[in-house]
Amino acid sequence: MAAASFRVAQDNQGRHHVQLFGQWSLRVPSNDFAKLKKLLQPFFIDISTRWDLNEIEQLDAAGASTLLSGWGNKLDSNISLRPEHAVLFNTLINLERPPAKKTGRNWLAPLNGLGKGVLHIMHHFTEFIHLFGSLLIEIAYLIRRPQDFPWREFSANIYKSGVNALPVTALLGFMIGVVMGYLMSKQLHTFGADIYIVNILGLSIIRELGPVLMAVLVAGRSGSAMTAQIGVMRVTDEIDALTTMGISRILRVVLPKVLGLTFVAPLLVLWTSSWTLAGGAFASNLELGISFRFFFDYLPLVVQPVNLTLSLIKGLMFGFVVALVACHFGLRIKPNTESLSNSTTSSVVTAISGVILVNAWFAILTRGIGV
Amino acid sequence: MNDDSIENTPRENSPDQDVICDIQNVCTEFGDNIVHHNLNLKVKRGDILALVGRSGCGKTTLLRHIIGLTKPQSGKVLLFGQNLHAMERVAQRRLMNRFGVLFQQGALFSALSVYDNIAFPLRELKQLDESTIYQLVMHKLALVELEPRNADLLPAELSGGMVKRVGLARALALEPELLVLDEPTAGLDPDRSHNFIDLVKQLKKSLGLTVLFVTHDMDTLASLAERVAVLEEKHIIADCSLQELAGIDHPFVINFFQSIRSRLERL
Repeated sequence: MAAASFRVAQDNQGRHHVQLFGQWSLRVPSNDFAKLKKLLQPFFIDISTRWDLNEIEQLDAAGASTLLSGWGNKLDSNISLRPEHAVLFNTLINLERPPAKKTGRNWLAPLNGLGKGVLHIMHHFTEFIHLFGSLLIEIAYLIRRPQDFPWREFSANIYKSGVNALPVTALLGFMIGVVMGYLMSKQLHTFGADIYIVNILGLSIIRELGPVLMAVLVAGRSGSAMTAQIGVMRVTDEIDALTTMGISRILRVVLPKVLGLTFVAPLLVLWTSSWTLAGGAFASNLELGISFRFFFDYLPLVVQPVNLTLSLIKGLMFGFVVALVACHFGLRIKPNTESLSNSTTSSVVTAISGVILVNAWFAILTRGIGV
Repeated sequence: MNDDSIENTPRENSPDQDVICDIQNVCTEFGDNIVHHNLNLKVKRGDILALVGRSGCGKTTLLRHIIGLTKPQSGKVLLFGQNLHAMERVAQRRLMNRFGVLFQQGALFSALSVYDNIAFPLRELKQLDESTIYQLVMHKLALVELEPRNADLLPAELSGGMVKRVGLARALALEPELLVLDEPTAGLDPDRSHNFIDLVKQLKKSLGLTVLFVTHDMDTLASLAERVAVLEEKHIIADCSLQELAGIDHPFVINFFQSIRSRLERL
């Protein structure tokens, strides 16, 4: 195989004669059209240059197109070539040209962008309400026909998003408890207020940190998995297959996920909070010498039990929000990889933001209770 | 029919260079399941070779060995005289640009438009500027008989036939010498599959391609293949033209030939 090459000669009138040789084709691995084009550039500019393509062994579309772009996308009388190559050049010349790029600046573009963004959020909002409504309708249907309840999927979801999450929530909870306990012990010790470590850790963990920590972990772990699963089911037409069997996708796909996570989330809150408290107790034991026995005996006296109820209610709400947001984004996925990754990201981000929003709202609502 | 190949390759190469793909003593096993045992096959320049056999006999596996996706347990697969798995990275990449593959489902990049799918291998070369790439993409679209206005569509918006055409355009983007097709007409209606076969034949002629394909569809086989390689009992038991299959005495081949004979007579 002969690589593409050229030879330049100059006649007595000072005109250049460029003769091309070899295979002007992508098939020859050693061809580099960018380099060839650069070397030929002076002759492309000089319009008196004569071109001789008769010695070319093989010419493909890439080679022809490179030459054409140098010639300004036309053949003129200075170019001598074989008839079969002329056919290829003419085919390329007659192809559609790229659309002219819009020049000038569109001053309304930012406003348009803002409007589109608002409409996009509105669209999300209406669809979310729609999904919520469909879920309520399915629940109403299940009350009339309890035998249709998807028990198997329900229990599978409890296992996947609840039981499988036990190790990671325990580990992270314990570690955060240790860190918090350690830092607070240091501060309290300087005031000689060692005993208040139980109040601070107990109230903050049971009331706030435990539920939010659980929700963040579950959104990252189970929420993303739910979105991706529903998304792939959409891409592979599995959702449509379910519908054609007369099975409601909301009943079979969305409902078990939402109910499963709503059911298991309060239990996970209890579990996460316990491990975080254990971590805190461990740190206070090391730093302040407070015994475990004392820590857990003293805890119910300084933290009102109603805080535990609040935290369980929070868990219920957070689980519901995470699962519903995950399903909402899953059902919006379009059959391509980009949409799948975008939706999964949005699902997690929205779920965590939603959880924090709900948490703030709930904190205002219950500000007089238990503190 | 075989004479086309000679017109398209006017170069005086040594006989070795006319063998595009050379499979030597390939053995493949998945666990206890032996798929290929000392399998040998040669694909010559200008061939349109069909690889046939029962479902699950290892045709697709062999195809994947050829295009370098998998490596046989023992034996060698030489492409253009070189072993893909025993090469340095840059050279390997260049060698892989010399063949184009059309996957069964098209394997288009779902996040990219038709235009970007076809432009992708051209951009990866890093030799061509955008206006040249535009011209080449339009050229490839015209080759596979698609309209320029289809260029902005996403793969999800295409019909099955169009997915195959775009996949073919992408496979042809780098002007390959060898075109590998996995079930080229699966999922197409008879009319479209007929058109698609005509398209492949015509491209083979005009671009001087060598075509290697796997199919289950007898119509595709009868109208496209010039040679068939029958994979059966871990070996290639026949490697000849369709008509010559009549002379081979093997239960699978006899059965097989009966089902394509009527189709051959119709052509």
